[in-house]
This record gives sequence, structure tokens and C-alpha cells, in this order.
Amino acid sequence: MSHVDEGTLHAYLDGELPSGDRATLEAHVAQCATCRAALADERALRDRASAVLGRARPLERPTPPFEQIRRTPARRPWHVRMPLAWAASIVLALGVGYLLRSPTREVAALHQQEPPAVEPTVVATNQTRAAPPAEQKTAPLPQERTRRRAAAPADEQSRTSDKTTPPADVVAAVPAVEPRNAPAAPVAAGRVNDSLQRERLQASRLEGVVVRGAAAPARSERDMAIDGAPVQPSNPKTWPLIDRRLATSVLGEEPVAVPGLAVRSFRRGPGNDGTIVVEQTLDSVTVIQIFQRPARTSLNNSAERGRADHFGRFVGGLRVEIAGPVSTDSLNRLLDQVKPLH
Amino acid sequence: MPEDLADVYRNTYPALVRFLYRKVWDQGRAEDLAQEAFARALVHRPENARGWLFVVAANMARDEARRAAREKRHLTLLKSEPDAVHSAPEDEIDADTQRTRVRTALDQLTPRDREALLLWDAGMSYDEIAAQTGLARGAIGTTLARARRRLVEAYDAGQEGGQDVARG
Repeated sequence: MSHVDEGTLHAYLDGELPSGDRATLEAHVAQCATCRAALADERALRDRASAVLGRARPLERPTPPFEQIRRTPARRPWHVRMPLAWAASIVLALGVGYLLRSPTREVAALHQQEPPAVEPTVVATNQTRAAPPAEQKTAPLPQERTRRRAAAPADEQSRTSDKTTPPADVVAAVPAVEPRNAPAAPVAAGRVNDSLQRERLQASRLEGVVVRGAAAPARSERDMAIDGAPVQPSNPKTWPLIDRRLATSVLGEEPVAVPGLAVRSFRRGPGNDGTIVVEQTLDSVTVIQIFQRPARTSLNNSAERGRADHFGRFVGGLRVEIAGPVSTDSLNRLLDQVKPLH
Repeated sequence: MPEDLADVYRNTYPALVRFLYRKVWDQGRAEDLAQEAFARALVHRPENARGWLFVVAANMARDEARRAAREKRHLTLLKSEPDAVHSAPEDEIDADTQRTRVRTALDQLTPRDREALLLWDAGMSYDEIAAQTGLARGAIGTTLARARRRLVEAYDAGQEGGQDVARG
């Protein structure tokens, strides 16, 4: 027998050599000093590799009961799962004010005031909307200022994060950081002429992503603001229950929801922008919220629309966002399924 | 069937967590993914639950890595201020360094060698590794021999590099 190759030696050491081969190898090694030395070397290598791997082991924690698996796919709390996510979540929660507010009043106000200490500008989807009438009045805004405001957000955000207590019901977030003066239209760039490009950039603004727990924890109402008015979406006082007929009339069309999930309630937002939320149950303890309002945007360009759809969607004439205590991927998948109720 | 899966669960869960941990490098996520894999197995009731679980886990770990990379990009943009410097106990730093070194060493293996090694370390047999990786059973010994050698070499090289830096 010629010398034993290293693969066979490892299979032997791993106890994976068929018994016949095993006997042959042992007989050979007994009388071949070279292979005996090689076997010793490979054994040392194998032990060494195991030791190295052993230095990167997870902690030995008890196996959770199987029953737990059977009930629900395990999800640990968001703050354990994503240690950094809370910072992003705060920012997103602050962005809620932007998300659901009326475009008219707010934009005008923004142009007249210095940004408040907690201005949710950064973590956002880049939603393109037509300039609302109020903006047109103050419209010839110095471009310089627009730029400055857009450049500041990263800083503002981190300061904001430091000052703010993480909202207890913020669950998860995939922030899309797209400062408005960043290449907001990379696809279009180079194809569209400069002025059109600029016009689009001006027409677009950042919009916060709704990411909140769906249950209605009792907590301070100041953590969220919609239209500048502090609200808590699930608070019956500020988001009163309405029936479906009223929801339809507020929206001007059928509300949208994820097909196949039970609708728990319809609620009306405190603002006057026609926002409602449809609450649906994923299971007995998990509620997702489908925020929706008339889009009031004229997105004729399908490319723009595609970008604007990144975290929220336009379904028919509605701007739709989703929130709930499940992973961002799941939320995005659920959002994809949203359809008008029939 | 669920009873069988319960047995597989008891026998395989820690190994699956270990396998996932070396892919996502986060204990919590590894546990999450392992549990999710079992939850999916409850729905799909695969014939060979053990093998199926590792395939699903490997896929989830890959998706997870992509997602983590995306999140990291986003969060990096958010974090304009440096983290406060936390003081960690000596041994914690040491364990951290070791882990990083192992991770770096594993990264230097080819994906196939790494997969075979991690599957072996998770307690899979040559037959199972062959089924999982598509390698011939007869090639597993050679693959593992190569993987082990490269791992040890890369790990030792990392250590020397670290010492050089420390000395320099």
C-alpha cells in the first residue's frame, strides 16, 4: 500500500472511514513510520482546528421548550435583536409627524420657522409630491437654504437621539437615509436635463417611515406628533374608532388592508388630512396597523413613483404605510399584499 | 411527526445555533434563526428534518447577512457621533479578540471548505455534509483536511500579525 493521503487520514480520525478501509489503514500505519508520523500530524491539526473553532462558540444557553417553537416563530425583543436599531427607531418615530401630516399647513410652517430641536428630517423615504398650494406662496425659496437644511440632518438626528427616550413601542426599522440633495434620482440623472432634475428634487421631500408597535401601550403622548399635534395612534381619544363606512368616506375610496387578515378596527386620525388606520390581527397578540390617507400627489412618472414606494406604497389614490411588531422584512412583505377591501 | 421533530429539536438545536452563530456572529440572531428554522419545519414537515434544517438555516443566515449589511450601511449614515468608549473587562476583550480572529480566519476559507467545516463542527456526518454541499462523500475528508489546515494557518497568521502590531 502506498502512503495514506491526508483526506483518508482525516476521514479515519473523524470515524468516517468504512470498516474495511479502516482495518487496512491501521495495518499500514502499524508498519509505516511515515504514515504514522503523518497520522500524528493530522491528528494534531484536527485537534487544533477544533480548538480554534471552539474559541468562537456561542454561549451555552438552555434550549427553549419545544412548545414555545410550536406556538410562534420566536422573536426576541427588538432591542435585543438589533442593538443599534433603537437609535434609528427614535428617528423614525419622530418622522411620524411628517408621515401623516397635512402637506399644506406644515410645509408652509416649515419654511417660516427655524427647524425645531427635534426635526425628523433624515430617516425617510424620498417621497415625491406636488408642491401644495401653501408652498407655492412661499415658493421662490432660496435654493441655498434648501440645501443647508438638507445637509444638516445627520447631525440633527444624532443629537435628537441623545435627548430622546426610545419610544417603547417602536419595534424595528430599516431607515433609508436619503438626504434630499443626495442623488435622489440616480436613474434619471444623466437622462433628464438639469432644470427638470432640480424641479423634481424641489418637489420631493423626505418622509418618515412608520415603524411602531401595534399594541396600544399606555405611554406619554408627547412621543409622537402628527401635524404638530401630539397623538398616540392607538389612543382612543385621539384616534377614535370609526366604522368602515365612515373610513371609506374619509378616504374618498375603499380602505386598504392585507387580504386574509381579520380587521380589528378602523380609526380616524386627529388631523384633517383624511388619515385613517386599519388595524388587523396577525394572531391573537399581534396587531399590525395600515396607515392610509389620500395621496394628493401627482406622480405621473413611474420611476418617481417606484422610488416613493420604497417604504410606503401608493395603492390607488392612497398613500399607505404599515406598522407592527414584526420584522421590517415582514412588514414590507405585508405592505406588498395590501389591497382595497371588498 | 411533531414528536419526531421534537426529538430532532432537542438533539439539534444547540448545534444549529452554533452553526448559525459562525455565520451571523450574533448569539441572539443565531437563536432567533434556529427557532425560526424549526418553526418552518413544523409547517413543512420535511422527510429528513435535520438536513432540511441546516439547509434552511444556511439560507436564512445568508439572507440575514445581506440584511445586516444593508442595515449597517444605513446606520453608519445615521451615526455621526462616535460611540462612548465602554470599558470592558480584560477577559471579555480577550474573548472578543479571539472571536474576531477566528472569524477572520474562517473568512479566508473558500465558501465550500468553510461550509463543510462548520457542518462537521455542528455534528453532521460525512454523508450529511455530502448531501448538503453537493460534494462526493469521498471528497469530504480531503475537503475537511484542507479547511482545517487553512483555518489554523490563517488563525496563526492573524495572531502573529496582531503581535507585530502590538510590538510595533
